Amino acid sequence: MKLQIDPKYDAFREEVRAWLKEALPADMAARTLQCYHTTIEDRRAWSKILAAKGWAGPAWPKQYGGPGWDEWQVMIFEEECYLAGTPMVDEAGFKLCAPVIWTFGTDEQKQRWLPPLLAGDQYWGQGFSEPNAGSDLASLSTRAVRDGDEYVINGTKIWTTDVHYADLIFCLVKTDPEAKQRGISFVIVDAKAPGVTIRPIIDIGEGHSLNEVFLDNVRIPADWLIGEENKGWGYGKLLLDNERAYSAEIPRNKRTLARLKKLAHETGMIEDEGFALRVAEAEADLSALEFMTLRAMAEKAGGTNFPVGSILKIRGSELLQKLGGLQVEALGPYGAVVYPHGATNDMPPGPAIGHGVLADFMYRRAVTIYGGSNEIQRTIIAKSYLEL
Amino acid sequence: MDFALDEMQTMIKDSVARWAEKEYDFETRRKLAVGNGFSEEHWRTFAEMGWLGAGLSEEDGGLGGGAEESAILAEEFGKVLLLEPYLPVAVLATQCLLGTGHAGARELVQAIAAGETRVVLAHEEVKAMGVLSHVSTSAGSDGSINGVKTLVIGAPFASKLIVSARTSGEARDQSGIALYLVAIDAPGVERKDYRLADGTRASEISFRGAKGELIAADGFAALDRGYAHALVNLAAEGVGAMERAMWITRDYIKTRKQFGRTLNEFQVLQHRMADMLTELEMTRSALYRALGQLDTDPAKRRLNLAALKVQLGKSARFVGAQAIQLHGGIGVTEEYSIGHYFKRLTFIDSVYGSGAQHLKILAKAIQAGN
Ligand SMILES: Cc1cc2nc3c(=O)[nH]c(=O)nc-3n(C[C@H](O)[C@H](O)[C@H](O)COP(=O)(O)OP(=O)(O)OC[C@H]3O[C@@H](n4cnc5c(N)ncnc54)[C@H](O)[C@@H]3O)c2cc1C
Repeated sequence: MKLQIDPKYDAFREEVRAWLKEALPADMAARTLQCYHTTIEDRRAWSKILAAKGWAGPAWPKQYGGPGWDEWQVMIFEEECYLAGTPMVDEAGFKLCAPVIWTFGTDEQKQRWLPPLLAGDQYWGQGFSEPNAGSDLASLSTRAVRDGDEYVINGTKIWTTDVHYADLIFCLVKTDPEAKQRGISFVIVDAKAPGVTIRPIIDIGEGHSLNEVFLDNVRIPADWLIGEENKGWGYGKLLLDNERAYSAEIPRNKRTLARLKKLAHETGMIEDEGFALRVAEAEADLSALEFMTLRAMAEKAGGTNFPVGSILKIRGSELLQKLGGLQVEALGPYGAVVYPHGATNDMPPGPAIGHGVLADFMYRRAVTIYGGSNEIQRTIIAKSYLEL
Repeated sequence: MDFALDEMQTMIKDSVARWAEKEYDFETRRKLAVGNGFSEEHWRTFAEMGWLGAGLSEEDGGLGGGAEESAILAEEFGKVLLLEPYLPVAVLATQCLLGTGHAGARELVQAIAAGETRVVLAHEEVKAMGVLSHVSTSAGSDGSINGVKTLVIGAPFASKLIVSARTSGEARDQSGIALYLVAIDAPGVERKDYRLADGTRASEISFRGAKGELIAADGFAALDRGYAHALVNLAAEGVGAMERAMWITRDYIKTRKQFGRTLNEFQVLQHRMADMLTELEMTRSALYRALGQLDTDPAKRRLNLAALKVQLGKSARFVGAQAIQLHGGIGVTEEYSIGHYFKRLTFIDSVYGSGAQHLKILAKAIQAGN
């Protein structure tokens, strides 16, 4: 065992930080740090800046246009991006769908979808969940039926984040209704195709990122199915496994903690001993979680042999909610004030740094629900490792 | 001691419940919440039914009840997440006015109970941090008021304000706080209205040389009384909101199916709901305790109320959060009811001095040898 951190990572962090200082427009950073859902304009603009630098797909292999970083560099990059206030990028496309395409797709499929994604020209949505298939995703019922060299798709997807901005949706669909997990395929759907209807769902932070997607006789070319028919469940699992080491959302937690401290200093709440103790406790949690994340990344080098992804997900999401609650509290009498999304010059009173706090706090109730709820994660830990 | 409701209490409870069921379903409330957050028609009903004076003696224009009656009403209002400022007007301002002992204030209480006027208390300041005696707004010898009050809940619907202003001493002294009645549209009063997460409305109000009528030269005791009553009613509202949120969740998990069975079959969710009920009943117990001792000496009352607020905040946050959690995705949507219970319950922890600030009051008393 040798637990010292290689100094090359500090140098890398400096490099990223220096670049961000130059490349990230100040007004864009200010908007992001308010913590409302990112606007599509900011996303587009930032994706283009990243693409020009060659850093759009930090975790992508070199051969598909990635910078060739190791996992920890990827996390350092994300941390610095979060702290600096870069807009959210197309996570569904970059982190979830792209690895499936380059692992299981044909050369033609890779060529069709990876370059436009990397260039920031196309946006993706993730269409897995359905009204009756949430935690029990394998019970999904959207059907894809082969018709000549096309598939015809019918069904309803829900909670589809940002699909109202998307050009493409990657979906799990049933191609063999008799088999359960084995009858599922991984397909790409054109979000603008005839038969696709998108209904916005407003979240309790009064923001719009969620949607319900109705697929009514939507046709896709047969070669928009990735890999083999009826094998999509395995691809979907791979996609979720890929994200495992990142599931504590360390970069987001770090940014939220940094913002909490700033806020509490600005409002004077930090003078309150009891409050400061709770912030300190959260910070201690975060430092342990950060190291657990490193262990997860070193899984193959003996870092972990336990269900680390589930533990990271549980504690990372709970921490995020705790930090959000502390931010609301730090705002004192302004904690419950609704500040409308997007900049207006007629905002209710209260410090500007607090404008997006409530909306974010509300929306983040979801972090213990999505990505495999915390109840489901605990069951995984109990069953897979403790053999209960 | 008797925990059963008497005839009049039962009548109050039933009549509010009936009204709420008919007039205050979730969709109606939702429209009101994104509209102006207030209905004159509802307020008229509250006055006609005697609800605005539920906790008042008959000579003060009430039904002859006390704090218990008011709390019973507040609990029912809590179940439907009432938007109208019942608590700020009919409890906080009303009890504060009564606490002044001023003749004109007493007449005003009757007018409030009759629904003829609405008065709210403008006391909270940004730097107060839960300290009730914090007043940096000042009043000169000519009675002109200068300063800023924040989070004045219900102010957009009020015609008069009770304003606390300092005539002597330091910002947190209990003595030297005077209370004035100021017309909402008086010269030198500037109001910025806004919406709170739970759909209620509040204002930040600045006073620049505004003139008011003095109703208490030394007003801390009246403020203390007002907030004591407001806090127990807030807890009652919280109990109502928690209870309704709990049953909504119970019904939901009994119908929602995943993995081939309804969610209520999963033991972890059963236990979670058992914890929700436990939290609810802990708060209800603390509420009853505080209600029964509302008229004891103020120092003792303060500690009872602090214990209540600590429990209330903890329970409200737990029940609200778990109610959403057990719903899954649908719980975080505006179009479904449970998220709105979460908002109200979160806000209940932060208003009138947060749970954390009240915990400090308790801790200080223990350090002082209590
Ligand atoms: C903000 C947000 C964004 C999302 N984005 C996307 C997206 O982009 N694409 C997409 O496909 N999906 C997305 N989702 C969907 C998300 O993955 C689901 O919400 C999640 O899988 C839970 O499903 P559900 O909401 O149907 O809840 P349910 O599965 O109905 O669960 C309700 C409750 O029951 C519990 N429960 C369920 N089963 C069990 C069990 N066996 N044992 C114990 N407890 C159990 C759950 O933990 C939860 O508390 C998003 C969801 C949210 C809230």
